[in-house]
Amino acid sequence: MVDRVWGLTSQVSSRKYDETVTILENNKINAEYFKLVFRSAKLARTVKPGQFMQVQINALLDPFWRRPFSYYRVTKDRIEILYEILGHGTALLAGLKRGEHLKIMGPLGRPFSLKVPKKKRVLIAGGVGVPPLVFLAERYPSDYLLIGTKSKKEVMPRKELSKIKAKILYATNDGSYGAKGFVTVLLEKIIKQEKPEDLFIQTCGPKPMMHAVIKIARKFRIEGEASLDETMACGMGACLGCMVKTKDHGWIPSCTSGPVFSFSDLV
Amino acid sequence: MKIDLTTKIKSLTFRNPIAVASGTFGTKDEYASFVDYEKLGAIITKTITLNSRAGNPMPRICEVAGGMLNAIGLQNKGLKDFIEKKIPHFEKIKTPLIVNIAGETTDEFRELTKVLNSHKHVVKGIELNLSCPNIEKGGASFMKKRTLIREVIEAVRSETDMFVSAKLSPELGDVVEIAGDCISAGADALSLINTLKGLAVDIERRRPRIANITGGLSGPAIKPVALRYVYEIKKSYKVPVIASGGIMTAADALEFLIVGADLIAVGTANFINPKATLDILQGIADYCKRHQIKHINDLRGSFNHTMNIEGPSIGG
Repeated sequence: MVDRVWGLTSQVSSRKYDETVTILENNKINAEYFKLVFRSAKLARTVKPGQFMQVQINALLDPFWRRPFSYYRVTKDRIEILYEILGHGTALLAGLKRGEHLKIMGPLGRPFSLKVPKKKRVLIAGGVGVPPLVFLAERYPSDYLLIGTKSKKEVMPRKELSKIKAKILYATNDGSYGAKGFVTVLLEKIIKQEKPEDLFIQTCGPKPMMHAVIKIARKFRIEGEASLDETMACGMGACLGCMVKTKDHGWIPSCTSGPVFSFSDLV
Repeated sequence: MKIDLTTKIKSLTFRNPIAVASGTFGTKDEYASFVDYEKLGAIITKTITLNSRAGNPMPRICEVAGGMLNAIGLQNKGLKDFIEKKIPHFEKIKTPLIVNIAGETTDEFRELTKVLNSHKHVVKGIELNLSCPNIEKGGASFMKKRTLIREVIEAVRSETDMFVSAKLSPELGDVVEIAGDCISAGADALSLINTLKGLAVDIERRRPRIANITGGLSGPAIKPVALRYVYEIKKSYKVPVIASGGIMTAADALEFLIVGADLIAVGTANFINPKATLDILQGIADYCKRHQIKHINDLRGSFNHTMNIEGPSIGG
């Protein structure tokens, strides 16, 4: 199916919903993440890893915009979001209690490729990029999940990753857990062990991390996808604020034509 | 009680006064998941230019208290793409389509109008973007030269008998005076107001938060300013007004209707609530019911200028 407005090949035509949900859980799970849980049959029904939702944190217009969050885990109608406090909006979100309400629109955007025939799937995550790739690894066969964090304190609790069959490798900046250095250290190791042409990378995380991953992938001619996190207002492809530069289509909105882009589409 | 929201401007009839503000609702069916376009009073497109525009560098938007700044830079695929790819879609929708256009020169405005005039079966009106704060040629700073606004409107008028509205902003100078120019040059209506130029600073990096440095401020932060201009224009001239500027709720829309707005263009609110237009429409109907208003015209312009002053003022 072709993206109606911007022309990129699209994988989704799912209906979007805007639902008021009730918070079931909103707790800190480690030094980095809070976990928010709620139920919504509509927001859960057709969702695929890599898609996101737009969360209206309150009705007070402070913060003014909604905040985009990746889906982290969906079990029947139970939806989980994993988030970090990165600013005013997420700080307010972290203060909400069980029983309070949120208005949530989703599922939005194009997901990761779910099947990667004849390839070994390498997932490379950091920060807010961990949740969508854990979602992907839980649902679809993957070979490696590489996670980069600052230190051992930000490492995901073991039970959060218990359903993943892929080999999970950590890199920490200070070397307090797993390999020392950036997550690309792990990628370079895998490239030495495997045939690069057999690999397919899917990455989400801080921009410098993804840029480093794409650079290595291009060097070894490894195909892959990156989920780009641009500041978003509408999430509907209307405001043209979250643009990403592509080879064939120029600047296109990451909220509807992305957030997942093929490495080959990116400039 | 049946409430009649029918709104007439010149030869156009709108089923209700709720429209969408240019640039906030896409150019085609971006909001179709949430809004039945047939339920809207009017659709106003994102600005279309003669040639495609790549827009401004990123980042283009940032959030501020009570609103946002944007410097999109009129990114669009140009007139040809609009005619070929978007017009056929609107042929199926009965809601009047108003196409917002911007030119870098008077000739570009003329050419855009000429082409759109040949698609009258779909295009019911033209809104002239004379006040974009984020582009060089044809933008608000360029249009500050008042003879130019007159020239553009006269050129557009010579090409069409369609409904033409001039979109103004205080960035141009004295809106009330400029409105007079627009009316005498042949504009059928005024669209008030476009965004106001603003700035936000990233204090950690000591840099602007958008690449264009300044951007257009929209959202509730500008609502009182917009309301004041609609009020002043309505007081000064007998001219239809398409009101916009921070209209988020039915209460906001009602304020504009009470001071005399003809159409209500819901803008930035669409980004926060994709169903904002329909929620506002419902809220207006509920208000009319509660106040036993049978026709929207009984409410429109019913503003009472006098204040009831009871006793000595507090703190006076």
